[in-house]
Amino acid sequence: MASNDGYYEALWPRSPRQVQLKPLAKRLDTLEGKTIAQLWDFVFRGDEVYALLEEGLRARFPNIRWVSYKEFGNTHGGEEREVVASLARRFKELKVDAAISGMGC
Amino acid sequence: MVCDGFLGLAASTSVGLGVPNIAIATVPGHTGVQSKEELRGNILGVTMDEIVDNLTREPETATQETEPGAYDIVVKGGFEEVNRYFYEHALSDGLPVVPPTRERVEQFLRFTDRSPDEVLGILLPDSRAATIWSIAVNGVMAGCRPEYMPVLVALVEAMADPYYGVEHSGNTPGGETLIVLNGPIIKELGFNYTQGVMRDGFLPNTSVGRFWRLYLRNVAGFLPHKNDKATFGNTWRVVVAENEDVVKELGWEPLSVDMGYAAGDNTVTISRFTGGNHISSISGSTPEEMLPYLADAVVRQYSWQLMFTVGQGMGTLRPLVLLGPIIARTIARWGWSKQQLKQYLYDHARLPARQYERILRDWTMKPTWNLEEEVRLGRVPKAFFESSDPKRMVPLVWEPDDYMIVVTGDPARNSAYVFAHNGVLGYPVARKISAPPAVFRRRVQKKEEHVATP
Repeated sequence: MASNDGYYEALWPRSPRQVQLKPLAKRLDTLEGKTIAQLWDFVFRGDEVYALLEEGLRARFPNIRWVSYKEFGNTHGGEEREVVASLARRFKELKVDAAISGMGC
Repeated sequence: MVCDGFLGLAASTSVGLGVPNIAIATVPGHTGVQSKEELRGNILGVTMDEIVDNLTREPETATQETEPGAYDIVVKGGFEEVNRYFYEHALSDGLPVVPPTRERVEQFLRFTDRSPDEVLGILLPDSRAATIWSIAVNGVMAGCRPEYMPVLVALVEAMADPYYGVEHSGNTPGGETLIVLNGPIIKELGFNYTQGVMRDGFLPNTSVGRFWRLYLRNVAGFLPHKNDKATFGNTWRVVVAENEDVVKELGWEPLSVDMGYAAGDNTVTISRFTGGNHISSISGSTPEEMLPYLADAVVRQYSWQLMFTVGQGMGTLRPLVLLGPIIARTIARWGWSKQQLKQYLYDHARLPARQYERILRDWTMKPTWNLEEEVRLGRVPKAFFESSDPKRMVPLVWEPDDYMIVVTGDPARNSAYVFAHNGVLGYPVARKISAPPAVFRRRVQKKEEHVATP
């Protein structure tokens, strides 16, 4: 029986990614004495999570220094573009060594 | 830090952002359902160690995956074989697609002046180029006609507008975009703008709606179980066209004018909605008799979305009301303008302040603790704290113009439809359609005549 399925040469419907691999920052040798920024999207109990992390990490690294999420503003909301765009500058100003971002839930 | 359920999304999104080796710390379970003791145990017992590790151990070297080129043929064969390939490679929505061959794609390209290589924007989260070529390919797949191409191009221009926020299209509530079409193009291309306007079965409404979702999948990169984290999700919506005959008869302006264009312009307006409801049998012979029911219905569509009014989105909530033509006629015959209708909804679609704060603070743990403080800090309009009475009624939106009104649907039925908006995560954006298809159709005919002439 003849096939009615036809013959097609079908094109790729995606388009190339426009992003190149980005190098990640060099890791720290220790958190002791370092300044860690907290970034929060203001949902899913991040305020409680950061309070717990401050407590737990301070017990292990007594001289760790924190910069609160309140310094940066909400990373997910009406002002997110401005907030994210300002981070590099703010990190330099605040002498931040590393950042933690949450909450993806 | 991501909860268990978001590890897959983090892995997918990090590729599109160029950091596939970014360090992720796990938060076991979901914080929203854990007691304080459980949260403490999870953060101190699991997350904290992973954070220390992530900050002190060098990440593995990243590699970039290879993919086909923009113009590559990826499969050759019969209809079933092509569709099997597309489905197995997550390139289709599960329904059969029209195989996108070069010949079909070129038919679409005749309906635009723009180069196939032209990039309209880079779409997150996959960071792919939104090209004219890829619009044509996905338009073919969706079952569109070539003459819909100008509409498709305008849609992708709107999708790439940062105000719309396409990168949020895979968020938890699974809101879906509604496309509203305005202008003479509605009749030129045969869009349904009357009874059953949101029902499939009308080629332009249905296929253009399907195109939107295919483009989100294939170019922006929203695949369920990867970048699309809709808890439940929605299927794509067919295009809603406004009944501009009725709008003109009433002396009102179409949505396109509210969005900044001239009456008679062909436009698309996109907004994301998390849901909505049919409001049946709106009865009365005057606006005062009809509108209390409509205002009440608007309030009932809104709960956690109030975070886009006060909180996460700050004034970005834009409710959309589809009005049946006889409802609009009844309101307008008493001399009411569309602006007066918006003002009525602003004044009467209200919630007690106590309820507002309960939804955002107590029930959903959103970051609005207190309307008084938000007003005191100048972050929201004074209408949200006109007294300290917890029973005072506060509006759903910042100003009357936040309401969007579209006249459409069955001309003979007294119903409306109210959509619950997704705020800043799908903010309304409009684009003018560059040239009506008839212009291109004439050019195509001329070219063919020229070729046929010896």
